[in-house]
Amino acid sequence: MSVGGGGGGAHAAIPQNNLIAFGVIGGLIGIYAAYFLTDIIGPSMSFLGALGALCGIVWGAAAVRRVANYGLGTGVPSIGMLALGIGIIAATFGLAVGGIAGPVIAVIFASLIGLVVGILANKVLNMGIPIMVQSMTEIAAAGAITIIGLSTSMIGTFMFFDEVVNGVVVAQGVATGVMTTGYIAVIFIAGGLAILHPYNANLGPDEKQDRTLACAFEKGAIAMITAGIVATITPFASGSLTILIGVAIWYISFSGFYKRVKRDAYRVTGTGLLPSKEELE
Amino acid sequence: MITADFLNIILITLGGILISMGVHLIPVGGAPAAMAQATGVGTGTVQLAAGAGLTGLVTAGFMMNVTDSMALILASGTVGAMIMISVTMLVGQWIYVYGVGCPAASAKVKYDPITKDRQDLYVSQGTEGHGIPTASFISGVIGAALGGLGGSLIYYALLSIENGLPEADFVGIASIFAIGLFFVNAVIPSYNIGGTIEGFHDPKFKRFPKAVIASFVATFLAAIMGVVAIGGM
Repeated sequence: MSVGGGGGGAHAAIPQNNLIAFGVIGGLIGIYAAYFLTDIIGPSMSFLGALGALCGIVWGAAAVRRVANYGLGTGVPSIGMLALGIGIIAATFGLAVGGIAGPVIAVIFASLIGLVVGILANKVLNMGIPIMVQSMTEIAAAGAITIIGLSTSMIGTFMFFDEVVNGVVVAQGVATGVMTTGYIAVIFIAGGLAILHPYNANLGPDEKQDRTLACAFEKGAIAMITAGIVATITPFASGSLTILIGVAIWYISFSGFYKRVKRDAYRVTGTGLLPSKEELE
Repeated sequence: MITADFLNIILITLGGILISMGVHLIPVGGAPAAMAQATGVGTGTVQLAAGAGLTGLVTAGFMMNVTDSMALILASGTVGAMIMISVTMLVGQWIYVYGVGCPAASAKVKYDPITKDRQDLYVSQGTEGHGIPTASFISGVIGAALGGLGGSLIYYALLSIENGLPEADFVGIASIFAIGLFFVNAVIPSYNIGGTIEGFHDPKFKRFPKAVIASFVATFLAAIMGVVAIGGM
């Protein structure tokens, strides 16, 4: 656990507002597209939900990067866990009461709790981080989008309860398909890691926004592949496309990340194998 | 019906506050402790609190299988969390003593408040103590008890909401909700203490009322959402 950050704002090539738009709009479009296209075209379109989650993950990681640069004092992972904790509460609430508007309601309520926690952190706990309130709101909303997006790609819908026609389950809901089965734990850890890990892995004086975000894409792709693996064994979603696209995104983003690591490193050199005993003498 | 829901919201909020209090008592050392440069267990608050809380949930859930008695369920959750933290601290202590080779010593106080043993003589230069001294250990056990009590209280309150959900769904939603609340209430005090604390003898412990206020507000909001989501109100 690192304390992280050098104090002061982080330099950013991409303005945060663009990333907010990318996360919210991309996330919601992905989730709704997955829902409607799974109905119209077929279960194979469920991968769009994971793409929506990927937008949320990148946004969340960018917000974590900004706020954790001030030094939270507790290590970067705590804020990722907080995001997913709030996200899961808001997602359960939003999906349970919202019906078709569920994801939007979940994002609104996640932002609300995030806002309150951000204000409490600054006013009551005296953390004194200028962008704490905004970042907390963003991270919590990104957590909710990530959870709903990955759930949607796992079961093909974001409806909370099963759809039952004449006593037969025609579509599994999030409650039975994701929460009762325990896949929510996978989402919790894969999504949480994807949001908290990129900055934690890249922090330091030479931290660059594009390198951190490339890492976020890569982690998001791993979460997507995981969701795809789950989707292969659920009846109303298809996993093959999710896994294939996830692997493709992972390969592209990992190459991008590695390219940026080489760009930012003073020198990348091969060390070769460890010397044998004879060579040492 | 509404009164029962309101009572559940209050119980959940109380559970959140208990978790928040409990975190202040658990000796969290973070990365410095992992290198034996600070007192406490070498990991973050969230991990420790989550470990204790989830064990508490499992033991409370197990007890719920056999009885409806609130006292027994809460006691089971409490004891489960206490065992979890005790074992973690004990094994950590073995590693500090036999692996790293340092005595348990606190840098925050001159004498251990429980055993009255001298501390400052045993603190290595350049460190803020190492290992888990008796006061921290006992503090940690008390903290885990509060955390486990809070966690099982939340779980119990959520599961006593009347609704028409199938039982498996109900348990699934209630447990994931309890876990979400646990993480929120583990991170809030973690921000309050700046990541590390030695136990009740640490000067940072005096800050706990702030975290209690913050946890109260955050948990209250979340509790309303939880009760509505599960089908109350």
